Parts: sequence; structure tokens; C-alpha cells
Amino acid sequence: MTATMTIFSKELKDAVRGRWLVAFAVTFALVALALSLVQQQGGVGAQGFSRTTASLINLCLLLVPLLALILGASAIAGERDRGTLATLLAQPLSSTELVLGKYLGLTVAVWAAVMLGFGVAGFLVALVSPVTDLGHYLLFVMLSAALASAMLSIGVLISVVAGGRSQALALAVLTWFLLVLFYNLVAIGVALSIASSGEMLLAGTLLNPVEAVRILAILSLEPDLQVLGPLGSYLYLEFGAVTSALILAGSVLTWTAVPLVGAVALFRRQDA
Amino acid sequence: MLSIRSAGKQYGKVRALDDVSFDLEDGRVLAIVGANGAGKSTLIKIIAGLMRFEGDVAVDGVDVRRHGKAARRHIGYLAQHPAFHLDMTVQETVQFFSQLRGAEAGEARSAVLAVGLEPHATKLVGALSGGMRQRLGLAVAQLGSPSLFVLDEPGTGLDVSARLELRDFIRAQRSAGKSVLLSTHWLEDVPSTADDVLVLDQGRVVFHGPSVEFAAASTARSRLFLRLNGHTPDAIPLVADAARGEVTQTGEWISVTCLTSDKVRVLEALVAAGIGLLDFRVEEATAATAPPVLRERVPS
Repeated sequence: MTATMTIFSKELKDAVRGRWLVAFAVTFALVALALSLVQQQGGVGAQGFSRTTASLINLCLLLVPLLALILGASAIAGERDRGTLATLLAQPLSSTELVLGKYLGLTVAVWAAVMLGFGVAGFLVALVSPVTDLGHYLLFVMLSAALASAMLSIGVLISVVAGGRSQALALAVLTWFLLVLFYNLVAIGVALSIASSGEMLLAGTLLNPVEAVRILAILSLEPDLQVLGPLGSYLYLEFGAVTSALILAGSVLTWTAVPLVGAVALFRRQDA
Repeated sequence: MLSIRSAGKQYGKVRALDDVSFDLEDGRVLAIVGANGAGKSTLIKIIAGLMRFEGDVAVDGVDVRRHGKAARRHIGYLAQHPAFHLDMTVQETVQFFSQLRGAEAGEARSAVLAVGLEPHATKLVGALSGGMRQRLGLAVAQLGSPSLFVLDEPGTGLDVSARLELRDFIRAQRSAGKSVLLSTHWLEDVPSTADDVLVLDQGRVVFHGPSVEFAAASTARSRLFLRLNGHTPDAIPLVADAARGEVTQTGEWISVTCLTSDKVRVLEALVAAGIGLLDFRVEEATAATAPPVLRERVPS
């Protein structure tokens, strides 16, 4: 077993041992079920998956980034705080292998939580309502996983930069606030004040993986201009659905790769 | 074999380690001695690949900077305060590090047995005492059969029996042809555990030689502080002669550094000359005072 796989395997075991994986899977499942039931009671059961998916998007955009950022931020900073970082790095293990092993382990653990939670909920919804628009629901689950990968990458970068775990967690929550809550207000403000600048709108979309995933999810359901918001509307009108989806997917991929590469590069320069 | 050439480390404006060079042959034990802040831990962390540094460090010919991962396969490292994941059991911990070190199957169990932790194998690390964690650290350090052991203050916090076990461990490794580098501020441990001694003072090597020479030069020395009854000018030549050392005067007090065995000779000389003592104080040599004593014994 390579060193990366050993660290990867330990992260997965820690996720199960720490019970957070199961806790989040249950949370995701309960929330998805609750939203689905609300839709059923509203008399829209025939469109179970589509409605449930639409309702889940906003909730997913709040919960998944928070979970991923916090877990990522604890990855290296936690080891540093416990003093175990030096113990690990004194072994035949490179800094790159440690960061990659931790990132991959956490990514698979969060994917498992998301897929387990939404998977169980999806199965239960399918038992009581006709299976329509299942593809949208599956795509939504995949987008949630992709968002988790990008946010974990940012979290790991925070973890490397921060002095300790508490500082890393504070930075993670601040990042979540900026990307998830504050960004939309700023984006709308910018869109209204500098509406003529297409580059600004495009940059506004690509500079935030949460926004990119939100627009991707809505595009996959029904590209309603009002729901897409100013940034999504600009993309859709300018490039069309398919090109927009490719641009946004590229943005999420970039947000997954670049912070992780940055974290590795910075970590290699640090003393343990 | 460990080879260090012109190793240095700068922390901001502080030169923590400066131009340190030495070799450690297979089957030898080297003790790194020095006061707090002398650079012992910095040197050890550099060898273990935990810090960036200037100069060259190679273990069994493998460059620690360029091929850190490969070099660390040859090193068994024990931190001053070994830190492990508290929510893992002893067996899980050793198994995990066994995989990281690419150790052979069954080595994890043997290592737990070797340090006497088998009765505690299913205990969580968080439930272990400091001494037991030190043993766990030694078990992990042995995995993969490294040729060099690097131990940072391994005696810290250990009781007498644990220190004796540690001494046995070091001897066993030496007998097996492995090298051991350890830092310590327990000077009395040095002659019985180390073949050679390297003394650091403010990041620089001030002594490097056989431990017997080190012991003769440092551990048997005392510093006497004497307050006399008004006969200081007469006493100075007497004390200097009896102590075979230079006497310094500060106010009412005179002080002299001498071999511990010469302390009584100083007092006898004063009594024989009818010079009474109003007060006196004795300081035994420590790692902090040893470097100045040894300063003239630095190899060229």
C-alpha cells in the first residue's frame, strides 16, 4: 500500500469512527425526505424528483460547502495542533502524499455522506411517487459531490495557511459566509450597477464555485431567467445552455485543482 | 551512516544552527548536549527531514533534502513528546505506521512486544501514560528496521526503570550495528550511553569527541562561591593554588571553577590559613555551563 493510500484509508476510517459521516448522511436524508413530503402534501407528487431536487438545491448550497470547508480546514491544522504532524512527516511520507491522501480520503467520505443521504432519500421517495426526472436528481447529487470536492480543496488550502485549528476553522466559516451568503448580495449589486460589463458578470460567476454549481443545477432543471439570477442569466443568454454548462464545469474543476495544488506547494515550503 | 556538512538554520534574525558538520559511523552512539536553545532539537529535526535547512545531510548516502522520503526510510525518529492519534489503539497505531514505513508483515506485533506494550495493545493511545507513549514512540521508530535512530531528549519524563530500559534499547541497537543519535541534558547519562559527544552552544559545535573526554572535562567540575571574613586578598592565591583554577572577585564574593574532587582541598587550605568562611555556595556543572568549559576542546 502506498503512503497516499495509507493516509487515504485512515481518513476514511476516521470519518466512520468519528460518526460525522453517518450523522451528515442521516441529516441529508432527513432533509431530502422532509422536503419531498412537503411537496407531496402540496399536491405535486407526480413531479416528486423534479420538485424535490429544486427544493434541495438551495439547502445543498448551504450545507455542503460548510461541511466541506470545515473538514478541509481541520485536515492539516488539526494534525499540527495535536503535534501529530511532525510524527507523520518524520515517516517515509512526502508532504504531497500527506496532503493528497487527506484530501482524497475526506473527498470520498463527503461523497459517501452526500450519496448515502440523498440516495436513501431518493429510494424512499421513489417508493411513494412515480419515478420521473430521476436523471435530474442524480445530476443534482453529482453536482453536490463536485461542490464538496471544490470546497474541500479550498478548506485544505486554508488548513495549510492557518496557524492552528481554531484559526483554520474561523477562516473556513468566514470563507463560507463570503462565498455562500455575502457573494450573492455583492453579485447582485455588481450586476445592477455595472450591468453593461459582460466580463464582470462572467468573472462574478466563475470566481465562486458555489455560484457556478447553483447555476449548473438550475440549468439542468429548467433555465428560468428569474431563477438563474443576473449572473446565470447573462451566461445563458450569451453562451447558451451547453456552453454555459461547460464553462461552469470548468470553473468548478479549476476550483478543485488550483487550491489543492497551492496547498501542496505551500505545505512543501513549511517546517513541521 | 550519518553525514552532516555545514548544516545551518535561520529563524528570522536568530541563527539557530551554524555551520555544523560531523559524521556518525554505523554502530556508534552520539549524544548531542547543550543548554536549552543551543540548537539540539533544530539539528534533530533537520536530520529527520522536518525542517528546511542550509548545508548537506545524508543518511546511508541518501540526501535528506533531495530524497527526504527515501532518507527517512533509514531513520527511526522519536520526538521529545511523541504525539499520536489519541482515538486509535496501540495496535492500530503501530499497524498504521507499519504500513507507512513499508514494514514487513508481523513487524507491528513484534515492535509492540519489544517495548512491553502487548498487555496494553487494545488500549486507546489517549489512555496511555507519558512513559507508555514514549514506549509506543520507540515501537514506531523501530518499524522498517532503520539503520539510524534519532531520539530527541528520550529520557524526558521517564522514571528510573524506564530510563534503564531506554539505555538497554540504545545498547541493543548499537550491538546490532545501528547508529543512534540522541539529544540530552542529563550529563550523567552520557558516559554510559554514548560513544561520542557533540556539544552545541548557541547553534555552534563547541566540542566533538569521545564521551570519556567529555565526562572528564565537564561533569566533574564545580563552581565555588565563597564569602570570607575580611581576608580576601590573602585568600585568592591560596584558593587559586588549591583549585588549580582562576579566581574572580565580585564584591565580597570570590568564585573559582575546579574539579569536584578539589572542592574540599580549597576549604582545607582556607581553614589551615586561619581564614574563616562567612558563607559559601556550590554549583555543579550542567549542560548550560559545560560548553564554556569545553570551548578549548573543539576539534580544528
